[in-house]
Amino acid sequence: MKSSTICQDWLDSLPTTEGCLKNEQSIGREFLLDQGMPSKKDEAWRLSNFNKLNSFLSLPPIIDNEDIKSQYKSIFPEKDVNRERIIINPKQNPNKNINLPNGIEKLNNKEIEENLGKIVKSTNIKNDISVCLNQASSSNLLALKVKSNFNQSLEIIIPSIEEKSISTRIFLLIEEGAKLDLLQIFLGNNNSAQNHLIEIKLESEVELTHGLISLGEEKESSSICTLAVEQSKNSTYSLHSIHHGWDYSRFEPRIIQSEGEASTIIKGLQVTKSKEQIATHSLIRFEGPNGKLDQLQKAVASEYSHCIFNGSIEVPQKAQKTEAAQLSRNLLLSKRARIDTKPELEIVADDVRCTHGATVSQLQDEELFYLLSRGIDNKHANSLLLKGYYDEVISHFPKSAGKWNFLEKLIQDIKK
Amino acid sequence: MPQTNTVEEIVSQPYKYGFITEIETEKIPKGLNEDVIRLISAKKNEPDFLLNFRLRAYEQWLKMKEPDWSGLTYSKVDYQDLVYYAAPKQDIKKKSLEEVDPKLLETFEKLGIPLSEQKRLSNVAVDAVFDSVSIATTYKEKLAKHGVIFCSISEAISEYPGLIEKYMGTVVPINDNFFAALNSAVFSDGSFVYIPKGVECPMELSSYFRINSGDTGQFERTLIIAEESSSVSYLEGCTAPMFDTNTLHAAVVELVALDNASIKYSTVQNWYAGNEEGVGGIYNFVTKRGECRGKKSKISWSQVETGSAITWKYPSCVLQGDNSIGEFYSIALTNNFQKADTGTKMIHIGKNTKSKIVSKGISAGQSKNSYRGLVSISPNAEGSRNYSQCDSMLIGDKASANTYPYIQSKQPQSNIEHEASTCRISEDQLFYLQSRGIDFEESVSMLISGFCSDVFNELPMEFASEADKLLALKLEGSVG
Amino acid sequence: MISSTSDTILSIEDLHASVEEQEILHGVNLLVKEGEIHAIMGRNGSGKSTLSKVVAGHPSYKVLSGSIKFKGIDILELAPEERARIGIFLGFQYPVEIPGVSNLEFLRVATNSRRKELLKSELDTFEFEDLVKERLKIVEMNAAFLERSVNEGFSGGEKKRNEILQMALLEPVISILDETDSGLDIDALRIVASGINRLSRPNSATILITHYQRLLNEITPDFVHIMADGKIIKTGNKDLAIDLEKSGYDFIDKNNKGKEMAQ
Repeated sequence: MKSSTICQDWLDSLPTTEGCLKNEQSIGREFLLDQGMPSKKDEAWRLSNFNKLNSFLSLPPIIDNEDIKSQYKSIFPEKDVNRERIIINPKQNPNKNINLPNGIEKLNNKEIEENLGKIVKSTNIKNDISVCLNQASSSNLLALKVKSNFNQSLEIIIPSIEEKSISTRIFLLIEEGAKLDLLQIFLGNNNSAQNHLIEIKLESEVELTHGLISLGEEKESSSICTLAVEQSKNSTYSLHSIHHGWDYSRFEPRIIQSEGEASTIIKGLQVTKSKEQIATHSLIRFEGPNGKLDQLQKAVASEYSHCIFNGSIEVPQKAQKTEAAQLSRNLLLSKRARIDTKPELEIVADDVRCTHGATVSQLQDEELFYLLSRGIDNKHANSLLLKGYYDEVISHFPKSAGKWNFLEKLIQDIKK
Repeated sequence: MPQTNTVEEIVSQPYKYGFITEIETEKIPKGLNEDVIRLISAKKNEPDFLLNFRLRAYEQWLKMKEPDWSGLTYSKVDYQDLVYYAAPKQDIKKKSLEEVDPKLLETFEKLGIPLSEQKRLSNVAVDAVFDSVSIATTYKEKLAKHGVIFCSISEAISEYPGLIEKYMGTVVPINDNFFAALNSAVFSDGSFVYIPKGVECPMELSSYFRINSGDTGQFERTLIIAEESSSVSYLEGCTAPMFDTNTLHAAVVELVALDNASIKYSTVQNWYAGNEEGVGGIYNFVTKRGECRGKKSKISWSQVETGSAITWKYPSCVLQGDNSIGEFYSIALTNNFQKADTGTKMIHIGKNTKSKIVSKGISAGQSKNSYRGLVSISPNAEGSRNYSQCDSMLIGDKASANTYPYIQSKQPQSNIEHEASTCRISEDQLFYLQSRGIDFEESVSMLISGFCSDVFNELPMEFASEADKLLALKLEGSVG
Repeated sequence: MISSTSDTILSIEDLHASVEEQEILHGVNLLVKEGEIHAIMGRNGSGKSTLSKVVAGHPSYKVLSGSIKFKGIDILELAPEERARIGIFLGFQYPVEIPGVSNLEFLRVATNSRRKELLKSELDTFEFEDLVKERLKIVEMNAAFLERSVNEGFSGGEKKRNEILQMALLEPVISILDETDSGLDIDALRIVASGINRLSRPNSATILITHYQRLLNEITPDFVHIMADGKIIKTGNKDLAIDLEKSGYDFIDKNNKGKEMAQ
């Protein structure tokens, strides 16, 4: 079937909303009707597996309070004592039955109107398909405000439902001086699709540590996630992400330092196996001086899989004294697997320090030999080396994230 | 920074080659259609296969769209408003230099390329191309003794049609891209080099391209073939008068290296870049590609790009033969409103193939200087290696430096390493040199040439001074 | 060798200077005559290095008031290279690395710009190589250093020897050596010190900026100045350095406080 037909059918199947996302919905739908799905000619989608993207669209959306038998796996690891947990039950409006801890409030309508969509718009991406897909399909919004005095941990779990597609829209406003340790978990399900649009606004002096564990399922789960973050002066944003197990995943973190003078740390890991395709398209823009960025993207591709990284950094004239470093490190473990990596640096300020680097290699034979020569068997030696490779990203996650057992999965799933 | 302006002044050397030679020129009418192509082909007495080659290319070109992918905006070229063939009026190509119009000899002498016997550069053979035709090739006889063929491509078409038919269009297919298709349809002249088996070319070969007419597109075509175990070093230089319109230059260069052969191709590109407001200048849209067809063959590109209003240029290596080597060394200096989008593609196909990329971009004024590259390792290219280094230097806060290194690997037993950095002239380094009595200008020059030294070291000795002039720099170890 | 009739080389009067909008020097006075060796001592941040940078004309340092005269000529308006050419030499505490710029080429261009000022003929590549090879002996350096980029990958000691080599080539009238002894082992210190001693001539002068007494065991200063808070607060002969070594900078603080109070 042609992708335009698929897109049309998908749009037709979507429920309409009367809520605050009504306007957004029509914007997204009109765009998709008008422009259709991306093609190989769109630079940002050139490497995307369009069959996989089409099957993403072929799953029916979930409708509010729809009575469906299939459940998400409701067994989650026990939550930490001092960590608040929000589970977004795909079957209902997240704003219902939600218990918010002290220091976190829902945004009122006025605040929503003032803020929603602004950040994502400011990223200025042309033909923003990922965002339009979400706009067209999201009916409910979770919009929260984290108060200045907040200094705790929060966990947001978004599970999937078999044979269904879900769409979530989240907005977080983090008020001046707040400290938040946020852990987000995306979980796939057999033959499921997820699609997220998350906007986070960091007011000045905010410290946000954002862990993102995105784990698919063996059988054809897919995920598209756009994360748009605006950082005000003197804020610190650390993003640590893992993407694994999705048949198709596309993650688009976009970070705008709206006045510069802020610090951004990104440590991302994507690990693919079988025929999976996992992609990260990041954008970091400095709109004022003295911004800092430390970005590390790691990828491991095994079997028949494909890992993609595209990393844009924009340093316009007003962003003097920016210091940005980006490093893309990739392991290619099989002859049938494939790695694509493309840093993109655009600099129009002369007093800046920007470096970037990329490597593609395999697990080092010498290191392996060293371990083997100490009596460690091949399997263990390999997993030790992989663990070492993952460590640079994983060590930054809060300890409690370990409960999600992703490390073992990341090691077991990858056979050299 | 009060000094920034001065640094900018230093990189803004006036264009020295902007004069126009008053010479009677034979031009065909403006415009492009099948008849024009037949006319060009007829003027050159070309064999049928070449006319067909041109016509097929033209057919492809008509179906193609002008690229707009690199984010560079420029006033579109009106292809019907260009002259596709212009030649200084003289009888059929002269047998000896003495018969060449003295005005032309004078022109090249003014450009620093003396062609007459007495003044020639020793150990460098020159093919001088004026607008659409090659007017002279020096040291032909000496080269012939070694079996080396160095002549204009027109001459090669009539003298060695077999080699042309065998190789032309095999590295850059006629439908490779919009400008390559256009070139294949209308190319007028260019250089041809053939190095026979086992021969190490005894001297540097060089082509010098001069655009003189304002409304003439220059479409030269160069083909270099290095047979088994041979080697050659080739350099091209380019200049043009100052016109306030944009002149199109769309060249195609094809290199073929067979087993154990090595080709070193250097470019010093100094086309007119337009004035300080960005008016005029050459559009330099060229396709350059080399194929390492043989085992252990090597192709090395080095370029110093200082001119042109817009440059799109990606000299590439297709590393087919096992253990073959590709190299790319580049300096691109842009100023005022120049836009340079340059880089390379290294396509690893054979086993144990190696490539190295060193790119230095210097952007001043409001110019835009981009490195765009691709390193691709195919599934069979076991044991392949690439190392890339891209450094940018920004002078002033309105210039931009972009880097788009694209890496694609499908081979686990291979290694790719890419490093890039952006800097400006360091105040501490500048002060250190000044505090030793070296004046400001010379200190800046030293620092810029230091920044570029990795690439300068790759240029043939004979042309290091040419590059020196171009960047207005004092080079380490250069003559004089 | 000091005689009151010696000519003045450098005179600094009530010098106030700032860097990044912050005033560091609060009125420095210093007089250096031909044949003299001065030592300036003081804690980190006392303004010693700033003084040397200001004399050499570093663009980041601004002179707010006061004067610096070299042989009676005001040099404040001179560019750094002009100061170097008339014979002011700064030996850097941290010589900067300049990748890609050949050390030999750099030394030759620098030497020739000084020679031009002295109305001597410029040296071509060959003549210069002869000269530099002879001067290398003073600092016991290997000719291989010449082939490398300026200071790139040099060890701390090698960098300092390269500084003294430059001094030997430029034959300055006044050398200001900023912490030339720091980071040197005993052998390197000896080489550097003997180099400085060999290069001093009756019509030139040297200012040693140092933290420690140990360099002064090798080079005997005629005057020792102690700097604190952007001023020279005490001047004496070589014994002052020895006192300082014995009792540390605290004794200065006390003395200084006393003095300030008295004022």
